[in-house]
Amino acid sequence: MSFSLSALRWQALRRDYRHLTGFKAGFGFAMLAILLAMGLFSPWLAPHPPNQQDLMAAMLPPDWTGPYVLGTDHVGRDILSRIIYGSRVSLIIAGAVAIFASATGVALGVIAGWFGGWIDDAIQKLVEIFWSFPPLMLAIAIVAFVGQGLGIVIIALTAQRWIPYCRVTRAETIALREREFILSARTLGASDGFIIRHHILPNVMLSIIVMTSFAMANAIIAESALSFLGLGVPPAIPTWGGMLSDARSYISTAWWMALFPGLAIFLTVLGMNLLGDALRSQFDPKLKSH
Amino acid sequence: MRTKLLPLLAALAVASPATTLKAQEPQGARIAVAITETISGYNPYSDPVVLLGSVWCQIYGCITRYDFDKGEFVPYLAESVTSLDELTWEIVLPEGLKRHNGDPVLAEDIVHSIQYLGSNPGSGKAYLVAGWEKVEALDARTVRITTATPDATLRDNLAGVAVTSKALFDQLGDAMFAEAPYGAGPYKLSEVAIGQHIVLERNDDHPLVSPSNPAQIMYRIMAEPEQRVTALANGEVQIAQSVPPQLMQRVEDLPNARIASVNSVEMMFLAMSPKTHPWDVKEARQAVAHAINREAIVRAILQGQAHLLNGPVSEGQIGFDPGFVSPFDYNPEKARELLHSVGLEGVEVTLSTPVGRYTADRQIAEAMVPMLEAAGFTVTLDTPEWATLWANVQQGNVPFYYMGRGSMIDPSRALHQYFATGGSPRIGFADPALDALLNAERAAFDPADRSAKMQAAISHLVEEAPAAFMWQHQMAWGIAEGIRFTPRPADQVNGWEVFVE
Amino acid sequence: MFVYFSKRLLGAIPVLVVVAGIVFALMQFAPGDAVSMLISDEASEADKARIREAWGLHRPPVVQFLNFLAKAAQGDFGMSFRYREPVMEIVLARLPATVELAMAATLVAVLVGIPLGVLAGARPGSIWDSLASTFSFAGISMPNFWMGILLILLFAGHWHILPSGGREPWGLGLDRITGFLLLDALLQGRGDAFAAALKHLALPAIVLGTNMMGIITQLTRASVQEALHEDFVMTARAKGLSAARVLWRHAFRNALIGVVTIIGLEFGALLSGAMIVETVFAWPGIGSLLVQGISSRDYPLIIGLVLVYTTIFILVNLLIDLAYTIIDPRIRIR
Repeated sequence: MSFSLSALRWQALRRDYRHLTGFKAGFGFAMLAILLAMGLFSPWLAPHPPNQQDLMAAMLPPDWTGPYVLGTDHVGRDILSRIIYGSRVSLIIAGAVAIFASATGVALGVIAGWFGGWIDDAIQKLVEIFWSFPPLMLAIAIVAFVGQGLGIVIIALTAQRWIPYCRVTRAETIALREREFILSARTLGASDGFIIRHHILPNVMLSIIVMTSFAMANAIIAESALSFLGLGVPPAIPTWGGMLSDARSYISTAWWMALFPGLAIFLTVLGMNLLGDALRSQFDPKLKSH
Repeated sequence: MRTKLLPLLAALAVASPATTLKAQEPQGARIAVAITETISGYNPYSDPVVLLGSVWCQIYGCITRYDFDKGEFVPYLAESVTSLDELTWEIVLPEGLKRHNGDPVLAEDIVHSIQYLGSNPGSGKAYLVAGWEKVEALDARTVRITTATPDATLRDNLAGVAVTSKALFDQLGDAMFAEAPYGAGPYKLSEVAIGQHIVLERNDDHPLVSPSNPAQIMYRIMAEPEQRVTALANGEVQIAQSVPPQLMQRVEDLPNARIASVNSVEMMFLAMSPKTHPWDVKEARQAVAHAINREAIVRAILQGQAHLLNGPVSEGQIGFDPGFVSPFDYNPEKARELLHSVGLEGVEVTLSTPVGRYTADRQIAEAMVPMLEAAGFTVTLDTPEWATLWANVQQGNVPFYYMGRGSMIDPSRALHQYFATGGSPRIGFADPALDALLNAERAAFDPADRSAKMQAAISHLVEEAPAAFMWQHQMAWGIAEGIRFTPRPADQVNGWEVFVE
Repeated sequence: MFVYFSKRLLGAIPVLVVVAGIVFALMQFAPGDAVSMLISDEASEADKARIREAWGLHRPPVVQFLNFLAKAAQGDFGMSFRYREPVMEIVLARLPATVELAMAATLVAVLVGIPLGVLAGARPGSIWDSLASTFSFAGISMPNFWMGILLILLFAGHWHILPSGGREPWGLGLDRITGFLLLDALLQGRGDAFAAALKHLALPAIVLGTNMMGIITQLTRASVQEALHEDFVMTARAKGLSAARVLWRHAFRNALIGVVTIIGLEFGALLSGAMIVETVFAWPGIGSLLVQGISSRDYPLIIGLVLVYTTIFILVNLLIDLAYTIIDPRIRIR
């Protein structure tokens, strides 16, 4: 192998790379838009009600010209419609987990970073404890013992998601605390709250946006894993993970039951990850993935 | 991006070698059986799972067993089991019966085993021996059991009593189960991997076995039906338990395996607890029985692999009456009328179902929801984890659920358990008339008399509808070529009933 | 350094206690009575009371928890409700399967991820780069249970090339020395057993490793790219060292530190991924044991497993710190 790394070539490469970033962002935004559209307009987009059954039309294979474009499941429900309605749960979970996790994580991170001392120590201990559960295990335990439900799943997934926010915010707050403009704001008598609101938070905002994209991707996968294990939201609500869980008993007889919901999860999560990556290389190339 | 991914996948697909996995022939008459339920440890008394119960009976020997050809319980380890009067039973052991290590099997072993079942914290099957007031060894070969009330089901219960050694237990305690698992059954325990598999070896001294029975049997857990069928296709197992309807064709198409179907004696039913509203109203319960289109479910979801029940039992079970027809046909209008007559249209109910415990359970419950709604119920479907559901059912906290009850060759225990006043909190039904009928049945020792009394109880039960009786599944077993095995209407694979050709 | 590690190990103990406490507290939310897991509902109240006492469940939860801690300190984690065997025995018997799977998955991730990342990093913008990027993002975004199902469908169900699940065929007749089948097969010189174990391991390891593979590819790509810009690499090149040599000797070593960090960070995700992959492939490890334990409300087993998981997690992080000092002697541990 030989590599020629002439200056000229580097320029061309950087252009390519920027090109790729654009593509990633575009794909990510497109996926986000599709997800939002599916979730918001499901009744208009879906050709059938998601729970409408027709036992006589069970397990029909995909048929691009028929009434069931992506086929039907074991009790004759339209797979396409269920995927469209299923986006709602993914959307709600991703949104809610991102909001709760970022709110909790950022608040604790800023407090720890800004005040330091025993407060910092206490919060760090909390981080250490919650971080010592392997990621999905705490969520599985919460849902298994406390019960099924949208709210419980959100709490279960938030239980660990706040930690990356807390870590990054804390580190950035500590770095900012000693900076010139903050020191001078302090000497001018600005209150802690004022400085945090007006100086710290705006500065950590970009990192938070980048992390949120990854957090949403993570929440969507985690929710579908829980549903797959039968620990997700109640069964009357269609979810992608739940559809996959149903499909397990029919892999060799009705592959479409497994293929399409899985593809929906995959493409959505791919979109979020690409978006996050594009945002990162745009705003904050130093931020490592969490 | 996706355009680049596709050729890559295609390349991967082509690159993979096309050689098929060589089917593993059962060497030296070893066979592997893929089973659905998990295997707990070495303790034969801990686990109420039916198939495992039969495995422990093969190792230790149980006092009786059900002979499907004769249609009755026959002595297995014992030489005879006789009832002296309504409350007293006598078990006699054969002379010179030996364990795998040469120790004799004694009457005190039976007494010890029953005591362990009834009161040791390690026992999960205390219900088998409940109500046995006195169990005593009269001499080395004779045991006498005295029951509190007349109990015609005692032989049935004795089929669950594996006889372990008192002497070894006194010496080793619970460690005996792992260190000295010496029984007197047709097979010996060879290996246990908790939660994975259990391996038995043929005991050539036992009269039930012949050289054409497998020399070794492995019971291997494979919870997923797809996995069991794939393993059968790949020659990893020779017998696969519970092939679901949608996979039967796939097994039939395999060059190296076939399907053998058998009726189960497991009643599937919808339980409605009259302690809760609206199930305290008989018309609401009857509306459910009229609302379910059982024919459609059996046809579409179970693909014909079930037959409809007119009551809790079908042919071959005690109390079956060929002339009895359930008054509840599929009749949505009638269901609506019934519900309307008591002013309960739109009443909210929650239907709970286990997931993956019975054939297509969740799918069936899902299909029932629109049927119930067509009759005027407003239905929420609940699919809790099995442990949660079962804990709640056992405490009487689940008003409306889809469930099965197996081991119903003699339905007496099951009917008492679910429908007698105070039988258990599972449904919480209380009806003095039914109690009287069930008690009369239990006290009848003459088979014909008992059957007639059971029929009377069942007919009353169906009409009162604390449960809507659905169907019995046809259990399909996948069996490899070269293996002769006729599945019985119970989840059992007994080594002496398997023949390797 | 020894003092440092001892300190960290001791520091893990309070964390383990709190972790056990959290799980114990969660269990109090569970519906139903634990006794119903132990005895039939047909049992009399007296029998239930006796069982409750025999298993220590009649005491208030706080006392139960303290009792548990006292016994755990002596290495006794109680008896499993479901299996009626000591919890630690069950867990330790199945631990090697999970460790073997996790290590194989890590190996897959490293062996695919690093070369792919180096290739992409050395020629940014090339077809290799796009390919690696596609591959890595697909790997990160792939739900592993879905991938597992599809691979079983293809390799076991359709082509019959690989087994559908489990860890070994029956009758392998391999003595357990370490509990790691591949290693045991090598130690006993059993090529056939090695091949059989490898066949069973292949799919689950690939599925489990895919996620980490994606992350490693991206990270390697970034650090190789960065390293190629650094002064010492430029100097080395100016001195006439071949490009390949520069790449491997300097850029790669730099990248390795990042990779080791990622392995540590992602190991937790790998362990929880293993819970699902083990369930899909019927892999007899502690992950599938935990999923079974949760569905049968086997409280002593669940607590034992959570503690084992947490301990592994802490140990791995410690090992990662140790690995730093080996890869890069400049890093000194205080």
